[in-house]
Order: sequence, then C-alpha cells, then structure tokens
Amino acid sequence: MEWKVKKRLKEKIAKQNIRGFSVGDVINYLKEKGIEIVQLDFQKCLKRLAQKYAISPGAISRYLSGIGIGAVAALTGISLESIEEGLRARLAGREKLIEHNLYLINLVIEEIRSNHGTPFKLKGPVTDSREFLVVTGNDIIAMGKIVGGLRVQTYYPITPAADENLYLEEKMLLRIGNKSLGGIVVMQTEDEIAAIASAIGAALAGARAATSTSGPGFSLMVEGLGWAGMNEVPVVITYYQRGGPSTGMPTRGVQSDLFFTLYAGHGEFARIVLASGDHLEAFYDAVEAFNLAEKHQVPVIHLVDKFLANSTATIPLPDLSRVRIERGNIIEDNKEYYKRFDLERIVSPRAFLGSNAIMWYTGSEHDEYGHVSEDPVNRLEMYEKRIKKMDLIDQELSEEKRVILYGSKKPQLVLIGWGSTKGPILDALPRLESLGEVAYLHFRVLVPFPKRIVREVISGAEKVIGVEHSYFVQIADLVSLHTSIPVPYRIAKWTGRPIYENEIVDAVKKIVEENKKRVVLTYGE
Amino acid sequence: MANKQHNWRTQVWIDWCPGCGNYGILNAEILALRELGLDPTKTVIVSGIGCSAKTPHFINANGVHTLHGRGIPFAMGIKLANPNLTVIVHGGDGDLLGIGMAHFVALGRRNLDITVILHNNGVYGLTKGQASPTLRKGLKTKALTKPNIQDAVNPVAVALATGYTFVARSYAFNTKHLKEIIKKAIQHKGSALIDVLQPCVTYNNIYTKEYYEERIYLLEEEPSWDPVVRKPDEEEVITKLSNAWIKSMEWEDRIPIGIFYQNPYVDTFEERIRNEIPDYFENPPAKQPINTEENLPIIDTNAFKTIFSEKIVKIKKTNKK
Repeated sequence: MEWKVKKRLKEKIAKQNIRGFSVGDVINYLKEKGIEIVQLDFQKCLKRLAQKYAISPGAISRYLSGIGIGAVAALTGISLESIEEGLRARLAGREKLIEHNLYLINLVIEEIRSNHGTPFKLKGPVTDSREFLVVTGNDIIAMGKIVGGLRVQTYYPITPAADENLYLEEKMLLRIGNKSLGGIVVMQTEDEIAAIASAIGAALAGARAATSTSGPGFSLMVEGLGWAGMNEVPVVITYYQRGGPSTGMPTRGVQSDLFFTLYAGHGEFARIVLASGDHLEAFYDAVEAFNLAEKHQVPVIHLVDKFLANSTATIPLPDLSRVRIERGNIIEDNKEYYKRFDLERIVSPRAFLGSNAIMWYTGSEHDEYGHVSEDPVNRLEMYEKRIKKMDLIDQELSEEKRVILYGSKKPQLVLIGWGSTKGPILDALPRLESLGEVAYLHFRVLVPFPKRIVREVISGAEKVIGVEHSYFVQIADLVSLHTSIPVPYRIAKWTGRPIYENEIVDAVKKIVEENKKRVVLTYGE
Repeated sequence: MANKQHNWRTQVWIDWCPGCGNYGILNAEILALRELGLDPTKTVIVSGIGCSAKTPHFINANGVHTLHGRGIPFAMGIKLANPNLTVIVHGGDGDLLGIGMAHFVALGRRNLDITVILHNNGVYGLTKGQASPTLRKGLKTKALTKPNIQDAVNPVAVALATGYTFVARSYAFNTKHLKEIIKKAIQHKGSALIDVLQPCVTYNNIYTKEYYEERIYLLEEEPSWDPVVRKPDEEEVITKLSNAWIKSMEWEDRIPIGIFYQNPYVDTFEERIRNEIPDYFENPPAKQPINTEENLPIIDTNAFKTIFSEKIVKIKKTNKK
C-alpha cells in the first residue's frame, strides 16, 4: 500500500476509536457496534479441499476465489445448482476443476449457513426473459462492431481498450455450422499512428474499418483523424477514456477527454462524436457509428470510458430487428474520369479502391479528382463542402436520438451529463424529487450538438447542473457554448473512482439548498 | 481494364525541379506497370510526404498521398482489406527512414506483399535541404550550416535485418535497370524494398549524377553473385543474408546496384491470415456482404446467439413464490 494511503487509513481508524490497526481490532470494533461478523477459517476449508483431491500446496491458493463465491451464495441463498451452471459456463470442459470448486463452495455454504442462516435471501426473478448477455463494455462493443459489419480492426495494445481487440481476435472467423458469414482481419500494429492509418486504408478499400484506443493512443491518432476528415473517410475510433493527462491513471475512469475528441486535429473538418451511457447503448452505438460514418463519409469517434469497458453487466439480448446497415452512396464507377470529391453534392458518391474507378486521395487541399490544388477558388468550394456536412448531419440525425430527457418534462432542476454518469444520476433522480420538478438530460451525440432540445429544456429551468468525471465539467461549457445559456452549477469528480448515487443526491442538495456553485466529489478516498 | 492502350500518365502538372531524379523513377515505374500489364483500377500507388510523395498524382492508377512517414501503414490497411490489389509505396529517405522508420521495420516483420520504392537522395528536398537519415556523418551538403553530426542509416541493411524478402538497389537515371527491378519487386510475393539512389540537383551537391555514375556497378555482372534463396534451407538463408549484408557496406569507391537478396519461401502476412480465414483471398474483407437486401445485418438473432453463445446465460423457469 502507498505510504500516504496507509497513513490516512491509520488516522481514520484512530478517529473511530478503534484500539489497534489489525483486522482483529477492526472486527472487535464492529462487534461492539452490534454488527454480526461472519467468520470463516480459509486455511481449514482449503486444507479439506487439498486432502479430498490430493491437490499440492502450491496449487491450492488458486481456489481462493471459491471461498468468496461460497460466502456470497450462503448469505444470499444462491443455489449450488446455479453455481454449478455458472462454473460450467466459465470452465467448460474442465471437469476436475468444476468438481473441486463445487466441493469447496459447498463446504463454505454449509459452514456459513449453519451459523448465520440466509439473512439476505434474494427475491425471485423480476423478469420473464429467459436469456441474458453477461458482458463487459469491451465485449458488447466488439459484438456491436461485428453485427455492424466490421471487417478490419487495427489496434495497438492499451488499457482499457485492449480486451475489445482480444475478443475480436477470438471472432475473426464468423461461421454458423458450415456457412461462412465472413472473416474479420484484426491486426496489432506497431503503434497507434499505424493503427489509424491502416484502418483508414482498409476503409478506402471498402471494408468497414475501426480502431480502438484510449487517451494516449488517441493523442497519436490525431494526424490520422485529420487525414480522414480531409479525405472524407468513414473510419470509426472507439475511444475508452482513462485518467490523464499523459499516462495519468491508466486503470481509472474519467470523462475529461470530451473537448479533446471534439476539437482534436489542426484545421477544421466534419466529424461525429457519439457517447454511450451503458452497455446496451454501447452496442447500438457501435453499429450506428459505422452507419453514420459511411452515410456522411466522416470519421466517427465513439466515446466511452474505463467504467463501461471493465464493468460486467447482465443485460437483455440486443434487439437486432432494430438494427440497420446503411452504407451510404456507393458506386462501382467505370467512367473514365471519376471525381471522388465531386462538388455537385456535399456527400459525393464513393467508389472503393479496387472498384472500376480510378481515384486519388491526398491530405493536401485537392480538386474534385483528389489531386493537390492551391487554387483559391477550389479551396473555397472544397473546404466548404467538407464543413457543410455538419449542417447536413444536423438535419438528418434527429435531435431526439442525440439527447434524451429522463424525469420531469418541464423541469425546474436539470442535471446534464453523458456516458457513465447516466447510471448513478438515474438512480439519484427519484430521491431528488422533493426538491421540485427534476430531470436528467443525457447526451448520446455530442457532435453535432442537439441545440434545439437542449435550449428548450434548460431555458425554462431554474438551475442547470453539469455532472462529469473531470475537473472543469466540460459538458457544462459545451452546453453554454451552443445555447448561450450559462451553466454555472457543476458537480465534478476526478479521482478516477466511480460517482455514486449518494454523492449526487448530497451534491445537488448542497447546490439547491446552500446555493453552492461547485461541488467536488471525493467518495472512495 | 488491363489493356495495353491505357495511358499511365495523368495530365497533372509535374512540379519537380528540372533534373530531379524523381523523373527517372516515374518513367521507370510507368514502363514497369505497362510491361506487367497491370490493371490501373486494381493498382494502388501510396506515398507519404515529400517530393517523392507527389508521384501518385502523376500516374494514372489509384493514388493515395498520405501523411509524413505513414505511407506503409496506409498501404497495409488497403492490402489487408483487399489482398488482390497491387500496392506500391513511394517514400523519401526522410519519410521512410526518419519519421516512418517504425513502419518501415514493421513491414519487413510482416512480409506483406507490398513493394516499397525508397527515393534516396540524402536530403529533405521539400523543406529546403536539411540532412536526411541517409546522409553520411561529416558531410556538408549546401543547405547545411555545419557538417552533419548524425550517422547514416543503411536502408539495405535495415531491410535485410527486419525481414524484407526482396531487397534491391537501383539508380534513378538507369531507367532500364530500375524498370526491371521494379517489375521483379512487384512480382515477388512478399515485402520488397528498392533503394533508389537519386541525385537532388537543388540541395545535394555531393551525391550528384557524376558522383553516382563514377561509382555504380551492376551486381549481376559479378559472375559469382547469386542473391536468390534457392531452397527453403536455413543455412542457405543465413549465407545469402550475410553476403547481402557485406555487399550493402560497399560505398566509397564502388556502389553496387541490383538484387541484394530474395527469398521466395517466407509466407506472406496474407497467407498467415488465410490460416485463420480460409477464404480470405476469394472473399476478402472489402468484398464481403455485411447486410441483407433489406439492409439488415447478415448476423441475425440466431447467428448472434451462435457466435456469442459463450456470453449468453439461459435462465431456467423457476416456480415463482
């Protein structure tokens, strides 16, 4: 343990009038407070397991997790049958391991139940669904990409994006029985610069292509992003935010890269930024990112974070009847002179490299054929064509899809947020109803910004409060920028630990009742 | 569209300096493409940034003019998505061996079937003559304020060390020789490097046309020179690589051009992918259907349940109390 953390813990313990610093001292203290302590001799359990199956002392510690499972099962009333099913799903085919674990877990359950019963018995199922997905954020995004038609994914290993790529590598061959549904090339490149460059190359050749990364990797990808913007390339970047700046706290979550994704790159170009607040949103966004990219021929950033990446959730299966694949205006042109950047339309018909057309691309300003051009008249038109896409996307992508209002339809108090703060804010909402009409405005798309709805909702509100895992609470500034309505109230957390429901309730009360402008959350310190 | 009538030149105004070695490279490449009878719609010329990077605009085939040093990774993505395309990368010595060296090395490791044409002139021409990674230490070309204090990279040796399976050198103004080398490099299955020695008439007053023409000799004229690995035998590979390495060290008095090394027995990256995806060449990622006629994903609910079965938990019916 870091020395400063240790010191702080000691001080906390001392404040609580606990006599010493050992686990035993803490247990005694809790007992005095009337808390029932569940005690279990780990060594005894493991020893019995070792004797029963002649497991060597070196290997026995690997079974430790079974004790935790057994203890939770005992207190909540989870049946051994259910646990066996879980073990079979997880350790498929490893019969001995399943048997050992079941023996140990049963031992723990019997031991604890005989002394404590089942004080936290779980209620029966609350849903009629019979099938669920048990997935991390990394898994569900990989699934969304596969359903969405991903065919080339390039990456450089980085936390917390790496597991998405690992899962994709397991699914390179899409096969149902003898029928092939295709194959996905997943490639580890030498760095993130190459990852985005290769993804762009694959997109030019006609494959749905993506890369995934976090802040440090995205920093390296910015030149590629600009090239994609300049050349109207539909490439998708899945961006898992983690604590920055620089290496920061790689395994902790933040939302402090919002502005970075909105503005990364020199020059001006069109892009789309999507943000997912939970696993199911992330699935549909992963598909939609490709559709938007190809329909409008722009780079799309799918912005998520470490909290989502590594949280395992039990969710219903996505509804695939809702999902569409929209590839935009694609042609197999065999005209002798194909204009890749035809100025007739804002989004020019797209032919792939390898089709019957010949085309050129360049990061330099270019004419309609894709050749370098310094002509000021061409510059005027071509530059505008690229930027005007933002207006087109703004018209075509309904605002109702871009921002969602939860709670009161005519709120006096509006919380605004995006991404992983959705869960705790929605949990906190009913507890804030005593303060008046309250709502949560949840952003699903940050570029193009849904101005109309946001203005409508917040212009009538008394207080608008931004909530974000960052210092500045960038979403509040973004809302002000687009609506000209100041958002002075902010709830900020940047320790990298999750925001909790209680923290939100307390912070909002401080803002409303004590008229505080800014509350910094620290729970988990 | 592969026809002999195809005009491989575009109408784009060529803005290289008069006398630039790039003209020789462009001419040789166009001859090679024509003689190989390639289909310009299935050929992609990729480049980075610099004088050399303008090459794709002058060739009437697909052209992708990318970022400084990044020609190779763009080319890799194109090739991965559609391995049936012919992909050629152009880059200068600053582009490929300076800012893009990581990619240059990585291509060799992968043996992707891509041809790299290195425009090697010892200077950064486009930014007015700074020392490039191939300018030798102690030399002072005319735009330098002081002699170069960085050592030079030996591109042939780097390519040999990193796994390129075709490594050659040619000279920009020996069109016939360069054309033949380009043809062989394109026909070779695997990563190919052609180190093209090229005078920069504007900024390199040392490695001039005269300098090269006094020193260059043809490897193939040496009776004992055989750079090709003839059987998949480790010992032979080591011998051929070592011979090539020693040859690559020759510079001051005599400069060899020709094929330094060629090994047709290393599997390409595309073949390695085929081990995972058996119909990779017949049905490459760029050509696969991903949606039905109704624009639904080809992965329907049943396919979803099969592909992701390990993540799906089925709940048994319980008697609700």
